[in-house]
Amino acid sequence: MLYLELFIQGLVQGSIYALIALGLTLVYGLLRILHVAHAALFTLGGYIGVIVTNATGSFTLAMVVAMLVVGLAGMLMYKLAYEPLLSQPPYVSLIASIALFIASEEIFRIAFGPYGLSYQTAPLQGHIELFSGFYLKYAEILVMGLSTILMIALAWLSMQTRTGVAWRATVTDPDMARAFGVKIQNVRYLNFFIGSSFAAAAGVLVALLNNLVEPTMGSVASYKALAIIVLGGLGSIRGTLIASLLLGVLESFGTIYIGHLLDRDAIAFAFLILVLMIRPQGLMGGKL
Amino acid sequence: MKKAKIISAVVMSGLLSIATGHASSIKIGFNVPLTGFAAADGKSALNGAELAVEQANAAGGINGDSIVLVVYDDQASPKEAVPIAQKLIEKDEVVAAISGSYSGSTRAAAGIFQEAGVPYIAAYAVHPDITRAGNYVFRTSFVGEVQGRAGAKLMGETLGAKKVSVITLKNDFGKSLAAGLKQAASNYGITIVSEYEYGIKDRQFGPIVSKVKSDKPDAIYATGYFFTAGPLVSQLRAAGITVPIIGQEGYDSQKFIDIAGAAAEGTIITTSLNRDSASIETKNFIREFESKTGNKADMVAASAHTAVKVIVAAMRQSGSMDKAALRNAISATSVVAATGTISFNALGEVRKDVQVQIVKDGNWHEHSVISDSKLLAPPNE
Repeated sequence: MLYLELFIQGLVQGSIYALIALGLTLVYGLLRILHVAHAALFTLGGYIGVIVTNATGSFTLAMVVAMLVVGLAGMLMYKLAYEPLLSQPPYVSLIASIALFIASEEIFRIAFGPYGLSYQTAPLQGHIELFSGFYLKYAEILVMGLSTILMIALAWLSMQTRTGVAWRATVTDPDMARAFGVKIQNVRYLNFFIGSSFAAAAGVLVALLNNLVEPTMGSVASYKALAIIVLGGLGSIRGTLIASLLLGVLESFGTIYIGHLLDRDAIAFAFLILVLMIRPQGLMGGKL
Repeated sequence: MKKAKIISAVVMSGLLSIATGHASSIKIGFNVPLTGFAAADGKSALNGAELAVEQANAAGGINGDSIVLVVYDDQASPKEAVPIAQKLIEKDEVVAAISGSYSGSTRAAAGIFQEAGVPYIAAYAVHPDITRAGNYVFRTSFVGEVQGRAGAKLMGETLGAKKVSVITLKNDFGKSLAAGLKQAASNYGITIVSEYEYGIKDRQFGPIVSKVKSDKPDAIYATGYFFTAGPLVSQLRAAGITVPIIGQEGYDSQKFIDIAGAAAEGTIITTSLNRDSASIETKNFIREFESKTGNKADMVAASAHTAVKVIVAAMRQSGSMDKAALRNAISATSVVAATGTISFNALGEVRKDVQVQIVKDGNWHEHSVISDSKLLAPPNE
């Protein structure tokens, strides 16, 4: 019973990780950029979610607005910060990304205040009792459900549509894709739009679980998502999903049974080191 | 590296002194986190300190000289606090200084003020080593252990809890509170059935909540700040856990109630500020703070206000700006402030009652007061 609860909690956390880390993997797969500022988009999503919900009373609308606005913000970030640096070595865009992330924390603080924001009436806080004493919060069900739906939608887009074929072709061989008439620029925009809107969804969901968005809420996401995409095998979508869920569950049990020795983050990174010792290419990465 | 920031008070007083031809102003240093993770507490503390300075100046300053607060952002980080302390001492030549910050940065700065012989008051940092820096360092709030012991009495004696689960924030603050609780627990018939730790960046406590639920305690002693405690308490309640949750001054903010919402109701904390106090001093502070800032008063604001008040009273008492005389005046002080009647022991630790507050109808209210001078005796050396 306790094990089941811990497992479910791990899946909830893992779903959040997956939504965040996915955008990072997409960007890395396409451009070989470590997109640290992705975590700022996650925070932005959380803020928009809370602000729109408080203003309109509609959580669904807030989710849609957050995903759209943050998706566009991600495209803008690519256009303004990364595109001019594409000819530079990768560390240049990494530095730009870190700078953007640090600046964003202070921008959130200046714009929305140091105290963070909460839902005036937090939606979906009720719970159902699955069986005696086993509660599942509506918010937790939504986290798992929405993540699954978004992932399936992404899989459908990339496998079943012409856009998806162009996208995958660009990731595999940009020059060849261009020769076949794929507009690389549009693929990159699409990539940032989807990755950023998923991060926004994660932000809105985290805000729902905690009823709090703060300027610094992206700080854990910024480094843990990096760890996850390395763990999954850089650029591998399937690897990222598996690594996210695995890490969520591992942290859940670890917090309880070895929490006095290693804290949550330490568990995550110890696991990362262990995996890299055995499989340097990550869980799903190709041969190095 | 963030640029240091000096508040407009300095500029204002500069203009004022040009206008009146009156050159002297008295500088009090103030290190406080205005950016980074602790910025919310820092902002509140700064508001409290500024209010106290305004009130002191309106009441004639120190023999007609006005007081200015020289403020630097330390980001609650020890590596920022050290150069700030040096700057306050050497460049700004402050007469005394206050920490409106957390333990890490306060500890780092305390040694530097001690060495320079500049009186330094920690407004609300809890680590026991802060005052051990020496005889120029004081603290106007409780050492973590003292408040932890008060928590033990509250749970064991007042609430009759026998089995307690402890959820500890893994930093100076959480650990020293939990240590105090454990020292005193057995005196009040409390058994600690389980203890879990979490990091300051954690906001999702699902696994801990599930485990605490299976431990079936009579009460939960959870250390944290409002931004960790808000999510924690709401998640504990959402899992169907109904036993009392005991917190401490880190919860002491209206923001905790905003975050936890209905789940905050009934949460009990040990703290320094009594919202329902009959003391005129406390009532005035709460009223004026709320009209100045539009925010509800909280513990950090009241503590920073108290620290300024102690220094101002000592300046008036000693009548000179000699730092040794000022130190002696602080050490001998007995002043009524927003957080109670403040006096210090030989180590510079405050002696005062612990206020117990409970959330009722979306606001903090008086629950009880713990005034057990033996239990609450701060360390003496």
